[in-house]
Amino acid sequence: MTATALPSQRAADRSRPSVLGAVKKIFFPVSPTYLFMIIPAIALFSFFIIYPAVVGMFYSFTNYVGYGTWHFVGLANYKAAFSDPTIRDSYGFTLLFAVVACIVTNVVAMALAIALNAKIKWRAGFRTVYFMPLVISGLVISYIFTFIFSNSVPIIAAAIHFAPLETSILANQHTAWLGIVFVASWVAIPGALIIFLAGLVSIPTEVYEAASIDGASAWKQFQRMTFPLLFPFFVINTILTFKNFLSVYDITVGLTNGGPGTATTSVSMTIFSGFFNGDYAYQMANAVVFFLITLLFAIFQLGVIRRQGGLL
Amino acid sequence: MQQGKGPRSGRNHRTVAPVTSAAPEAPGGGPVLNRRSMMKALGLGAAGIAVPGLVAGCSSSSGGATRIVFEETKPEVVPYFNNLVAKFNASQSKVVVTHDFTSSLIAEFVRGNPPAIDCDNYNLTTSIFVARGVLADLADLPQAKTIDPNIQALVTQYASFQGETSVLPYSVAAEGVIYNRDLFDKVGVSAVPTTWTEFLAVCEKFKSKGIVPIYQTYGDTWTTQQGLFDYTAGGMVDVAAFYQGLAREATNLGPNSSVSFEKDFTAPCKQMLSLAPYFNENPIAKHYADGNLAFANGQAGMYMQGPWAVGQVLAISPKLKLGTFALPATDDASQTKCRVNLDLAIWLPRSQPASQHTAAIQFLDYLMQPSVMNAYNQANLAFSPLKNAPPQKSPLVSGLQPYVSSGRFYQGPGTYVPLTIPIGNFIQEMMLTGNVSGFTSSMDGAFKRLAIRTSA
Repeated sequence: MTATALPSQRAADRSRPSVLGAVKKIFFPVSPTYLFMIIPAIALFSFFIIYPAVVGMFYSFTNYVGYGTWHFVGLANYKAAFSDPTIRDSYGFTLLFAVVACIVTNVVAMALAIALNAKIKWRAGFRTVYFMPLVISGLVISYIFTFIFSNSVPIIAAAIHFAPLETSILANQHTAWLGIVFVASWVAIPGALIIFLAGLVSIPTEVYEAASIDGASAWKQFQRMTFPLLFPFFVINTILTFKNFLSVYDITVGLTNGGPGTATTSVSMTIFSGFFNGDYAYQMANAVVFFLITLLFAIFQLGVIRRQGGLL
Repeated sequence: MQQGKGPRSGRNHRTVAPVTSAAPEAPGGGPVLNRRSMMKALGLGAAGIAVPGLVAGCSSSSGGATRIVFEETKPEVVPYFNNLVAKFNASQSKVVVTHDFTSSLIAEFVRGNPPAIDCDNYNLTTSIFVARGVLADLADLPQAKTIDPNIQALVTQYASFQGETSVLPYSVAAEGVIYNRDLFDKVGVSAVPTTWTEFLAVCEKFKSKGIVPIYQTYGDTWTTQQGLFDYTAGGMVDVAAFYQGLAREATNLGPNSSVSFEKDFTAPCKQMLSLAPYFNENPIAKHYADGNLAFANGQAGMYMQGPWAVGQVLAISPKLKLGTFALPATDDASQTKCRVNLDLAIWLPRSQPASQHTAAIQFLDYLMQPSVMNAYNQANLAFSPLKNAPPQKSPLVSGLQPYVSSGRFYQGPGTYVPLTIPIGNFIQEMMLTGNVSGFTSSMDGAFKRLAIRTSA
């Protein structure tokens, strides 16, 4: 039976009940075509994502290093993780970074999307240029920006006598996170920009014509029409960028390696540090805690989406 | 052949904590399980068996010759070992060796498929293979008796398993202060300093001539850790004894314990900070590559890096005349020691078919011939761990030969710290703030927590 034959087949079953149809209904309450499409996806997802996650959670209650023998240690790994200042501070940094970078990315991406949607010269060219950061590896970008922050910016700042930037902002424990927000947002903006552009294209031009005939200013048009109509896209972007920023790794490794001191050590970096040196189980406990926190955010955000009228 | 090791291998050297030899029996008396039995318990035995089954076919007997995998992943010497493997394969017909230079050892152990023989950097990560008892005992091999006992002791300083000889040193890298011979002549220093006072005098001479005495790059955390920190603290503290003491104190670590970072590392850290006036401007904004470039361009007299940086510096300025001396951290010249690490060491996995083991030993016999081993070390700015090995002739590192020969060396104090404790970041913070007690309390707290959770 092929997929295209299904609807007519069903109609036939309804009008002309047969033994074959009854048997099919018992053994295939869902169409085999759906099963054919969904089972491989579930199998792959289970084997590569769920199974390792469950195994990892299991080992977080042991002293396992990845091979050899092990035994249960109860909640010792969790207790140690909660009392570890390096891990605690990494949660503080990661949350602060994720919130700020999320706001910066979405505000800038929306502004750029509106600008790139206007009738300007070289519109396609500009869109391509703004898309570029998305296709470069995060590690490469962060090494380039390390050089810019540490060498280029101080030279320029010294030339114009702008004291705050005369030393690398990455070299100061209190400002290094700003450098990371800047670079991470720079990388994330193109992705958000595309979604906003798609949203803007979906807004019919007639409403703007009507608004301008009624004498609405550009700001009023944005406030009363563009932003409300873009809001669903804004919600999606917030969720996607926030989730990505929470798991920041390559940008912090490349820019500061968690420094100066441990000021910019992200949660992902602490988790990764356990994969060698026999701290696998300890950092798995950290990973489980991080997973639960991320899950809470996800549930909260899904609640927001539901209130927006079943967007997803 | 390029000598450079690059930042990644530098970071690899930071390793190690005093891993107390964990016997396979559960110390807590709890049930001992292994991965396989747990998977079966979860009803996933099929998946667990299928994965090792897929990769087990890598090495097998065919055509009368036994095929084995030899793993060696130090990037700079992969061609060198490729050549050795080819020579060995051509010299006999019983064993065919394949050189694996890309795999990840931890992943191979997780899959239950380690190489038949391995020759790689020995550090904290590798020492856990020892502590967990997954390596073969090589004590009965004749080669085990040819190794300098002082150098063999470096293995057990990190970990040991029931008194076995799990790892045989193959190549020792020694690190000290790299200096620019032409600049030393220019400022009128005729001999390398042998005491801390002399060292400070050399720094002053450079400073008075307007040349940066020592180039520092705090931008990368590993550079300050392996150079400045390890040299100063390693030169003042009995490193191996200190970490043995930490392991002995375990959860009792605190103000009243016999050893602690507060007690033993405060003076070295203060001495280290006292060098700050002799560094380049703004070291926090400089990285490893900046340091190599500046030193190669003659901007500084001294550079606290290992032989890997020598290769990088000479790649920029091939005509530079360089030398290395051990940092004299005290005023007693006879107490001066240099930092070493087991750049390459050989081991075999404990569980493998007898035919594989025999073939691996045959290849080990070839690799560990004095002529092969000494030639490798001579060619790669390293030191041979064999008793009565000929001295390293290269003037780039020969200044460290007396220390290696007489056993006056230590493995860097930073290399005993597991990666979960970001000691490099703590050192960076101390260099920026000058807060020594913050550093020592961070380290004591981290080691105490480590002891609490590993004793659970």
